Amino acid sequence: MSLPNELIVRDNVGMGTLDRLVVIFTKFISLLSTMLGLGAGETWPGEIALRLRPSITSVLVHKLPDGVILVAGTNGKTTTSLMVKTILEHIGDTVVHNATGANLLNGIVSSFIRNADWLGRVRADVGIFEIDENSLPVILRYVSPKRIILLNLFRDQLDRYGEVDVIVEKWIRALSKLPKDTVYILNGDDPGIAFIGAGVKGNIIYFGLQDTSKYLGLREHATDSTFCPWCGHRLTYDGVYYSHIGVWRCGTCGHRRPAPSVYKWPSTLPGLYNQYNTLAAVALAKSLQLSDTVIKKSLHSFTPAFGRQEEILAGGKTIKLFLSKNPAGFNASLRTVLEMGAQEFLIVLNDRIPDGRDVSWIWDVDFETIPDTATVLVSGDRAYDMALRMKYALVPDKKVTGKTPEPRVFPLLWDALTYAQTLRTDKPMYILATYSAMLDVRKILKGRKIL
Amino acid sequence: MKNSIRIAWLYPDLMSTYGDRGNVIVLQKRCQWRGIQADIVPVTLETKLSVLESCDLIFMGGAQDRQQKLAGEDFLKRKGPVVKKMVDQGIPALFVCAAYQFVGHYYKPYKGEKISGAGIFDLTTEHPGDQAKRLIGNVSAEIVYPDALAGTIIVGFENHGGRTHLGPKLKPLAKVIKGNGNNGSDGWEGAVYKNAIGSYFHGPLLPKNPAIADWLIQRALEMKYHKHIALTSVDDLLAIQAQSAIHRRLGI
Repeated sequence: MSLPNELIVRDNVGMGTLDRLVVIFTKFISLLSTMLGLGAGETWPGEIALRLRPSITSVLVHKLPDGVILVAGTNGKTTTSLMVKTILEHIGDTVVHNATGANLLNGIVSSFIRNADWLGRVRADVGIFEIDENSLPVILRYVSPKRIILLNLFRDQLDRYGEVDVIVEKWIRALSKLPKDTVYILNGDDPGIAFIGAGVKGNIIYFGLQDTSKYLGLREHATDSTFCPWCGHRLTYDGVYYSHIGVWRCGTCGHRRPAPSVYKWPSTLPGLYNQYNTLAAVALAKSLQLSDTVIKKSLHSFTPAFGRQEEILAGGKTIKLFLSKNPAGFNASLRTVLEMGAQEFLIVLNDRIPDGRDVSWIWDVDFETIPDTATVLVSGDRAYDMALRMKYALVPDKKVTGKTPEPRVFPLLWDALTYAQTLRTDKPMYILATYSAMLDVRKILKGRKIL
Repeated sequence: MKNSIRIAWLYPDLMSTYGDRGNVIVLQKRCQWRGIQADIVPVTLETKLSVLESCDLIFMGGAQDRQQKLAGEDFLKRKGPVVKKMVDQGIPALFVCAAYQFVGHYYKPYKGEKISGAGIFDLTTEHPGDQAKRLIGNVSAEIVYPDALAGTIIVGFENHGGRTHLGPKLKPLAKVIKGNGNNGSDGWEGAVYKNAIGSYFHGPLLPKNPAIADWLIQRALEMKYHKHIALTSVDDLLAIQAQSAIHRRLGI
């Protein structure tokens, strides 16, 4: 977006007032746009503010008395930051938090604009920002967080984010510039994250699971870093919780999973990955000296973010929606819904920018674990790719004569959702969808009353 | 007697970063659907060379840098010479992306020394520099070699920085219709040497391009049983529909 010249405020004029004016101005046009039904915008008000006032991020961040908490990692950012937000609000903090998907600088500034009053003043005590892989180094140039949660690093959208090893290197480089009193809440069960922990200076708190009953029997296939980040030799696992997350050690150089100081907490949400999200949020709360009682109480009625295990009733049919955006996330969702006894599946695969344009990764998901007796529907922009994957996963080895249990393909999502509602089986339909597909499903089922 | 083949999957733990596992699944399933026994034989750092030599078809895929280095060293010293001997004898093989670069003479990064390849394929790869664009996106091409597949349209997703140029001893696999292919300039994609194919196509390659999978399986069986073998047909409607979806996306 380009702005007329007269709107660009010169940067060398008095600070506080101009910053406030920019906030008021962008807040005003954001309101105007909401009234016109164009949407308030989760990124563009911040984008305008940044163009008018490139230094505005650090100015706004400095207004937060309790500083900033960053949450980064491939999977679990939204759930974890919502948990942290829930805990902090419970103890009376006002929190500024960027909207899901608005993980860049403009999303952060937008969240401040939303939070500010009409005098352009920041009203929050603390900022919780979820940051995607590539923008963490960028954001650290403007924001010096007091606390950082690093959840995990999985292969995700290689065409956009690049390779896991490269991200690890970039993160270490960016994080090593932070002050030595920065608190790191790290998932020690992820070798890459533990490697980052060893490469930065600060107060490091590891979380991880300590439950041998949760070990995976068979290795899943979406493995990113089963090789020692220190010496490059193959890691040995006492047990794998999922993907490359587990109790690992290197027989060659001796590095091993750091003993977690936070390892046990009752999870309010199903799924192993939510146990990790919970442990991360709890570890952060504990670093703020909050008591177990307070944390328990605050998380008691925690409800997940939209599209994350969301339950929707549509035309008498119970639909359970699971955002599943990369091999590790998909395998985790799949495992969870199978444990929940899922018999009806709708897989929705899109290849838009937020989903990643390369859909090759669906071949790294263990769809073979879906039972033969299941009903499988597929849809999305890349419905046929998904159907092909399901065919290779589900059609048995021996030559099948007559009817083969191929998935039902619905190029139009609307048709898939309509069909799903005609399945009068008393069983829920489990929808596993990529990011933009999840938004589409919600739009059809909840946004417009069309079904 | 039931026909059978053994499929060597080179470095499954090091070099299967881009859903390349799909290629192996497709080879195995298409055999099984036809009543051909197909065993996947993982061949990694510790695997004995005799295990590799016992295989009838070879697959090797893409990798991340760190893993690529580990696999590369092992391939150059140990597995590569054996694979070269097998490919020279006519054992069919598929090398995708990083593996495709590995089997050439060398890979020249934008900084640092040339990295030697296994010299199985007469090709070289150079990275044109930090600022050069990676070649990323959906891609479509028409097969020119092998003759049995000439005219077949293939689709995939390419994502590579290195530019590959074929030497005189190598034939291209396909002519690019839309996308970049080997180097984004000469219009060719992939390479064919005897019964071995190299390609930059992810997607992965074989699910949406089953003709290549069947050609590899057929050649493997023919090499093993020393007779002409015709494969029974398989319903590939979904592959055709998935291809069409890519073509619509590419505006073809």
